[in-house]
Amino acid sequence: MATIQVFDPALCCSTGVCGVEVDQQLVGFSADVDWAEQQGAAIERFNLAQQPMLFAENAVVKAFLERSGAEALPLILVDGDMALAGRYPNRTELARWAGIKETAEKPASGCCSGNSCG
Amino acid sequence: MSTLKFLDQAPRFLFFTGKGGVGKTSIACATAIQLADAGRQVLLVSTDPASNVGQVFGISIGNQITSIPVVPGLSALEIDPQAAAQVYRDRIVGPVRGILPESVVKSIEEQLSGACTTEIAAFDEFTALLNDSTLTVAYDHIVFDTAPTGHTIRLLQLPGAWSDFLAEGKGDASCLGPLSGLEKQQDQYKAAVDALSDASRTRLILVARAQQSTLREVARTHEELATIGFRNQYLLINAILPLSETNNDPLALAIYTREQAALNAIPVVLRELPRDDVLLKAFNLVGLTALRQLLVDKEAQASLPVDAVAAFDKPNLADLVDEIALEGHGLIMLMGKGGVGKTTLAAALAVSLAQRGLPVHLTTSDPAAHLSETLNGSLENLTVDRIDPHAETERYRQQVLDTKGALLDEAGRALLEEDLRSPCTEEIAVFQAFSRIIREAGQKFVVMDTAPTGHTLLLLDATGAYHREVTRQMDSTAHYLTPMMQLQDTHQTKVLIATLAETTPVLEAANLQADLRRAGIEPWAWVINNSIAATQTNSALLRQRAQNELREIDAVAHQHAHRYAVVPLSIEEPIGVSRLLDLAGHK
Repeated sequence: MATIQVFDPALCCSTGVCGVEVDQQLVGFSADVDWAEQQGAAIERFNLAQQPMLFAENAVVKAFLERSGAEALPLILVDGDMALAGRYPNRTELARWAGIKETAEKPASGCCSGNSCG
Repeated sequence: MSTLKFLDQAPRFLFFTGKGGVGKTSIACATAIQLADAGRQVLLVSTDPASNVGQVFGISIGNQITSIPVVPGLSALEIDPQAAAQVYRDRIVGPVRGILPESVVKSIEEQLSGACTTEIAAFDEFTALLNDSTLTVAYDHIVFDTAPTGHTIRLLQLPGAWSDFLAEGKGDASCLGPLSGLEKQQDQYKAAVDALSDASRTRLILVARAQQSTLREVARTHEELATIGFRNQYLLINAILPLSETNNDPLALAIYTREQAALNAIPVVLRELPRDDVLLKAFNLVGLTALRQLLVDKEAQASLPVDAVAAFDKPNLADLVDEIALEGHGLIMLMGKGGVGKTTLAAALAVSLAQRGLPVHLTTSDPAAHLSETLNGSLENLTVDRIDPHAETERYRQQVLDTKGALLDEAGRALLEEDLRSPCTEEIAVFQAFSRIIREAGQKFVVMDTAPTGHTLLLLDATGAYHREVTRQMDSTAHYLTPMMQLQDTHQTKVLIATLAETTPVLEAANLQADLRRAGIEPWAWVINNSIAATQTNSALLRQRAQNELREIDAVAHQHAHRYAVVPLSIEEPIGVSRLLDLAGHK
């Protein structure tokens, strides 16, 4: 199964609680990660504020930061290749990368299912 | 011999807690000396950023256990929480400096510059002292001049906090995030928290002044810490003005009356605690002799003749208002630690501006609400409104829990709830409420009794969240300006730092200023509130304090502020238009 790596911006809380508004995307994404992991997906998250060395040591991530800066995060790699940048994936995307067959269960962060369309 | 209750059969660990300026460090020093004089082996741990423990004993201490030759049995250690946080930041950021782009390194550093990081870094230093080790085994008592907050302890007690992030260094971050960069193991933190909640080993002494607002705050601290198992608590009221000082002096009499009224109306939850009252002393609390006297339970010998402060001619609030009025409109924000009188100062500024015929909107977070009630409708150009910080925070918490919380399992939800109890949350919720009226500052004066810290502004600016928040609330036709730009421009926004003429409050205010400067905001002025030096008093004790204030006022004038004002301690509560104008120094 593919390995999904998520390189988060420097968040003091992954929930974004420290922001003026709680980022609804982050909220949904955390739940989607839990879901995908339960389906057997291998997902790793790295926070720029906690593990910057992992950003510096990965050539793809480092080059991305040099080109676009920290404000362009998050960056998602699948098996080391860039899969998505600038936003968090939805459940369908996670499922595709991880090779999970989606059941009838509704995605938690699908665009337009909530009130925030990124 | 002392008869103080908190010293009776003192357990191994003694923690003093209370807000800056109540005298925790002096009392902790005096306690350590007294225990050592009684033949015990004592370690004194100071985290006071203005620590003068070394000075007291005539020895340089610093971040290592140092024995104090002049007091047999006593050793001391100074922990600088800021330095501890810096060491931690360097450990995380150091290896990527020069490798990742400078802007990226900056964004990482900002995330690690909040109050949470400092607090957790300081707790990390405590942990070693609370665990039995060769380092501490020789001591009968370890005396700390500060205590961890309820927020920190609760986080460490949550199983969810430890599950992923600390164990594997990845996964869900939280306010505990900084701990993942610290090297200790979970069992060590657990042992430290256990020691804190063990009444046979740990006693907590809440230090307060005889002031209503301070006692209310202490009552909250007491309940919060008792709830998490910190049950062995004592109360100490410091620096009470003795009755003997009130002869023929209206100011001393007013202070005495106010203090006694506050003590009589002490919150119910504090009444059941064993309590010690320590009287205000005439002498400066520097040197061994003075500290040995501090806890001696008798009236101060106020016989020393002290001169009145000669010809006090410092600028007053009205002088600042003259300059503020020139702009015709703008945002005026008061910033400072709790208890320095921001709400009163904001009201005095607003009334002073309105009285000149300028349009003013005053918005306060005054919990007592009496201020807005007494001022509303009192002046033609003045409108007043009030937000309730607790209600705003609660609304914000609830909103987050309803959205984010709904998707989490039990452990995750508990962690989220605790994250929402961090000091940042209240600051953000309150500022969010205030930001609704900021746009009015284009036409009139908007005076606020609070301001966000530089750290919060930088975080919000970086994520763009604040930006979105304010643009959403601006008319689409409004002139476009980022909120950060508005706050950085002193023609549009003036930040006034409020403080007291005492060592720790001035130092805390200087830290707030440094934090704002990181966000590119230069405080416009400082206001020193409740100054005794700016009053006339015959009381020897108060004159002594007035003399001590001069050094702090001088430091503000020459080291910290571009311009400043001194506001006297008033005899009557400054309520209503005319008293507020008096306070500002209108003739």
